[in-house]
Amino acid sequence: MSILLNKNTRVLVQGITGRIGRAQTKWMLEYGTKIVAGVTPGKGGETVEGVPVFDSVLEAVRQTGAEASVFFVPARSVKDTVFETLEAGILLIVVVTEHVPVHDTMEMKAAAKRVGATLLGPTTPGILTVGEAKMGIIPGNLFPKTSGPAGVISRSGTLSYEVGGILAKAGIAPSTVVGMGADPVVLTDLPDLLRFFAADPQTKLVTIVGEVGGVQEEMAAEYIAREFRKPVIAYVAGRNTPEGKRMGHAGAIVQRGMGSVESKVTALEKAGVAIARTPAEIGTIAKSLLSQTRS
Amino acid sequence: MRLHEHEAARLFQQAGIPVPPFAVARTADEAVASLERIQLPVVIKAQVLVGARGKHGGIVVAETPDKVREKAGALLGSSVRALAVESVMVARKVPIARELYVGATIDPAAGAITILLGVAGGIEVEAATRERPEALFRRTVVPPDELRGHQARALAHEAGFRGDLMVKIGDVLVSLFRVFRKTDALIAEINPLVVTADEALWAVDAVLDVDDAALFRHPELPADPLARMEHPLERAAKKIGVSYVDLDGDIGIICSGAGLGLATMDVVGQRLRPANFLETGGGITEKLMYETTQLVLEKPGLRGLLINLYGGINPIHEGAKGIVRVLREKNVTIPVVAKALGNRQEETWATLSEGGVTVVTDITTEAAVDALCAALEARR
Repeated sequence: MSILLNKNTRVLVQGITGRIGRAQTKWMLEYGTKIVAGVTPGKGGETVEGVPVFDSVLEAVRQTGAEASVFFVPARSVKDTVFETLEAGILLIVVVTEHVPVHDTMEMKAAAKRVGATLLGPTTPGILTVGEAKMGIIPGNLFPKTSGPAGVISRSGTLSYEVGGILAKAGIAPSTVVGMGADPVVLTDLPDLLRFFAADPQTKLVTIVGEVGGVQEEMAAEYIAREFRKPVIAYVAGRNTPEGKRMGHAGAIVQRGMGSVESKVTALEKAGVAIARTPAEIGTIAKSLLSQTRS
Repeated sequence: MRLHEHEAARLFQQAGIPVPPFAVARTADEAVASLERIQLPVVIKAQVLVGARGKHGGIVVAETPDKVREKAGALLGSSVRALAVESVMVARKVPIARELYVGATIDPAAGAITILLGVAGGIEVEAATRERPEALFRRTVVPPDELRGHQARALAHEAGFRGDLMVKIGDVLVSLFRVFRKTDALIAEINPLVVTADEALWAVDAVLDVDDAALFRHPELPADPLARMEHPLERAAKKIGVSYVDLDGDIGIICSGAGLGLATMDVVGQRLRPANFLETGGGITEKLMYETTQLVLEKPGLRGLLINLYGGINPIHEGAKGIVRVLREKNVTIPVVAKALGNRQEETWATLSEGGVTVVTDITTEAAVDALCAALEARR
């Protein structure tokens, strides 16, 4: 079990013939992902790592039954490609690409909502269901071979790796690790991702890896307080960020007290979420929460 | 990228927003020459990318050509809030009966655009709206929807405006929204939007901050985001393609992701003092890590360097070569500790160790900080 992606999901890789698309396709196949097609307009007929390449998403879907797509597509083409992909009927899209214009993200988000599709990112390392499949660039070797009870949702790509490793060290395997990206506007908000984990019987506990900037954690706190019944741990990075300085992700700016780590931690604590002050603390807290759930 | 007031004012004007006649001057002579087109009295405004210029002497009024020469001359070449004044805007002064606020921003929660109309505009808008939140009226628009005229007028009506003034404010809101969409903006503000005694509207300030990620499709906009960055190391970093923020400490930091960078600063900050924030993004190469490491080491007074990398999309084995090349060439003697995990990590560890870097293979950043603290202790 898992959320969104498993070993049977028929995956399409867009931008497959590019340098990164090619390399990552190899890693994804090695991990076990069922990649059935690739799309690069103009390269139809080629093969990459044994995967047939098509000129259009519609063709790929018709020929192979592809149902999920991962993008290694340049920022300027992302919006156009998302619209093509949605039109072809694909309902799960992972946008790995960084530096996508915010206005494009807003339009894609609205389009996805209209058709009930789930889009992840932008600027996401993707999604990995332990022991089964991955869409994107999350290194598989950081996780155990068999999946476990810990769902992970992270705004930061690299931090999701660190947290995955910390959970593994504590003897707790993740079920699915989801990168939601940390752009100012994200394609799927944190509460909606938590909903997926709520419905997954295998996931017994969820870890949220957040950071300064934006209001995702605050939105999640509201949802958790209202209806999320499984234990939640959160680590919110950027406690030492000086006010007014923009750090890394465009969303990571503290302004007028909003989007600060303090405001997020307060909101999450009020909702009953256990707070880790560093990524390493997640391991100890997870162990104790899981033993409580069992007893 | 933040646009200068005059750049934003020109765009607002082109979109049909009423902007008082203005000119840009780089010398006192140019300021005086502009009076051929612009009626006295005028306001002379320092073109610096910082807020609250008025409070810090960056906005002055001049009633005669001599005063224009004197005051423009004084502003040019001086600094306002530590920023050098290289140009000023000379604009016709408008008599103010009332100050409003109009703005457009991105609402991250809604993934949409928020249009704001405030009836307590002017310099103190933040305080005013905090104390009187009911003075701010808003509407959300989800792209690709547009702000329609009737919706803008409804907002003005809600804020208490009637008749011609309601219609004019509606027009300004629609035009501001259009500029916002057309330029891929993150923030657009007119503060204050002035109402004169005879109910004419004038935009006497213009703020426009556009999405850097969209500049590739805006040849009509200024193409110099780097020049607008103040700190030399921050500017140099942007040029290489990495994000650097200067801080007050003495432990240099290099991370391969923004979230990782923030968390690393959290952990380092528990025992040491970070000298900077830096994240490389997804484009690590030997050359990039060479230039990045060199850059971080340029800051004077560093006692140590902590490197925290994950190789997902990033070829860290390549990056490692760039790092050790700098350490060798510059004969770096401060302790350097690296945690580097992911694809081809064993290769990476070998390269780093051979280059004199203390390699930590534990998953936690705490372990790397422990190793750095130990190395710093050993020094003493």
